[in-house]
Amino acid sequence: MPQVLTANRLVVGEVVYWNGARGWVPRLQDAEVLADSEAESTLARAAEWVQKREVVAPYLFDVRLEHGVVMPVKVREAIRAAGPTVRLDLGKQSV
Amino acid sequence: MYRYDEFDARLVHERAEQFRGQVARRLAGELTEDEFKPLRLMNGLYLQLHSYMLRIAIPYGTLNARQLRKLAFIARKFDRGYGHFTTRQNLQLHWARLPDVPDMLLELAEVEMHCLQTSGNCVRNITADPFAGAAADEIEDPRILSEILRQWSTLHPEFSFLPRKFKIAVSGSSADRAAIMVHDIGIEILRNARGEIGYRVFVGGGLGRTPFIGHEIGSFVPKSDILAFLEAVMRVYNESGRRDNIHKARIKILVHQIGIEEMRRRVENEFAEIKKTGVLQLPQTEMTRIAAYFAPPNFATLSPANADFEAAKRDNRDFANWVKTNIHAHKIPGYAIATISLKAIGETPGDCSSDEMDGIADIMDAFGQAEIRVTHEQNLVLPHMREADLFALWQRLAALNLATANYGLVTDIIACPGLDYCDLANARSIPIATAIAKRFADLERQHDLGELKIKISGCINACGHHHVGHIGILGVDRKGVENYQILLGGSGAEDASLGEILGPGFDREGIVDAVENVIDTYKNLRSDSERFLDTYRRVGAQPFKERLYAR
Repeated sequence: MPQVLTANRLVVGEVVYWNGARGWVPRLQDAEVLADSEAESTLARAAEWVQKREVVAPYLFDVRLEHGVVMPVKVREAIRAAGPTVRLDLGKQSV
Repeated sequence: MYRYDEFDARLVHERAEQFRGQVARRLAGELTEDEFKPLRLMNGLYLQLHSYMLRIAIPYGTLNARQLRKLAFIARKFDRGYGHFTTRQNLQLHWARLPDVPDMLLELAEVEMHCLQTSGNCVRNITADPFAGAAADEIEDPRILSEILRQWSTLHPEFSFLPRKFKIAVSGSSADRAAIMVHDIGIEILRNARGEIGYRVFVGGGLGRTPFIGHEIGSFVPKSDILAFLEAVMRVYNESGRRDNIHKARIKILVHQIGIEEMRRRVENEFAEIKKTGVLQLPQTEMTRIAAYFAPPNFATLSPANADFEAAKRDNRDFANWVKTNIHAHKIPGYAIATISLKAIGETPGDCSSDEMDGIADIMDAFGQAEIRVTHEQNLVLPHMREADLFALWQRLAALNLATANYGLVTDIIACPGLDYCDLANARSIPIATAIAKRFADLERQHDLGELKIKISGCINACGHHHVGHIGILGVDRKGVENYQILLGGSGAEDASLGEILGPGFDREGIVDAVENVIDTYKNLRSDSERFLDTYRRVGAQPFKERLYAR
């Protein structure tokens, strides 16, 4: 299953996603979708960004592509990408 | 309430500045995340689902108006203008930024507050009966002992790295409004046959993935011995508790594995050793000194029957309904304990905006309330209201949408932050709570159902106390989809019991119908004014199962 690499920015805690060309981006839709074969190696390289104090707590999560849209498999990641479902005025969904 | 002495004040200020240095070193690369994480956790700073979360300690749930205004200010300036009151009587701010946290701690220190020991394997915030100092059934104000324990356990070198976190709750009466039976140590203040006040101590209660009701380990511990006795319990735990498996590290597992008799034997041996040294005898002078901080306000001599109050109830049904549920008996005639529900229909249980906090602080000033209490059921309590002021209080609360008349009713739901905020959660709690509240919004229906405590957790860690809900709901992840199990028959009160899972779980859409089905079964089975819990205990799970799963 394809995966996306995510982490939190060290300074502000914001959820971010990895994009090989653009670096850490705030929107899931801008994330790079990683094939199984490249996911683990990309995660291993995230250590460099942790070392540089840009992000913390990187990990991979499963996604599927629906008509070109990146959809997290688990509701956890959907909420993390948008914000609390009980406060639509907060999180990335509010911007 | 307790006022910091020079040691307390210096400690919290130094701690804020120490953390400022630690944050600076982290941002400069002098500390790795692995090195920094335990330091930030020691200051209550977690990394949660969306951002950093700061957990602020509210010792025994007591705040003055100045502190409440400071919390409002901090939430407004550094966070998103609201906070979430928790089942540990704490306040969580869910959108903190790392560089701001030292300033937040310093602001807290200015009003004698902190985030110490709101995380980590240490003694956490001591919780107590929110009706402390006011309840008609109280033997002694539990905050006196709670404050002594706070001082004893703060940065206690022997107990700063326990096998796992450690939670203590104190009740000042036999009616348990602090859930003492599901804490690592629960303490009930009681009076013996000779009229002396002492402590009944329970050990090994807890929720989480392996819930237990606490066992009595001391039937009457004299006041002067309480620190020595608790130190003995903690020392046995610290020595024998498991450190090889986080899921088996709480004291409840130790008590379960060795048995309460063996635990009692070990504690008594240790207690005898500590007593020999004589160093942990609690002097009466110190108890008196601490007790003076919790001296009751100067109560007026009032008539127990207030004609205006009675007339207001007669003339205003909404007010009468609020009085019926949210007002409790005070120990002084003419006074009352008023609960401010943070469970307005459709709102997040326990959430309170900065504007609401400021508004409540203004109300405290207007009605001469020096303190407010945070309850483990995620409400607030004004402990010493004059009955004659209740109608005016209700009107002011109503203007803030804080006069919901549902204390103890089906819509007064405990809910953890769940998957909307929490990194550990598997399912959302808050939307389930709000959906149930909307389904049962009709107040007449709520009153007809009577006391009915629903408690919801978004994962097995049970921050929402689902095991001790009359109806408990546990959210789980089933193949990536939120699923909700129903437990029935739990209680966190003096008749403590653990709920039992009724059967297969329900999806988000089905859980509200399932709860309504269970409640309808209760309505069909209850006799007279029997509570849900009593009906369940009388008839058992079978009738509920049969109807719920017959579909």
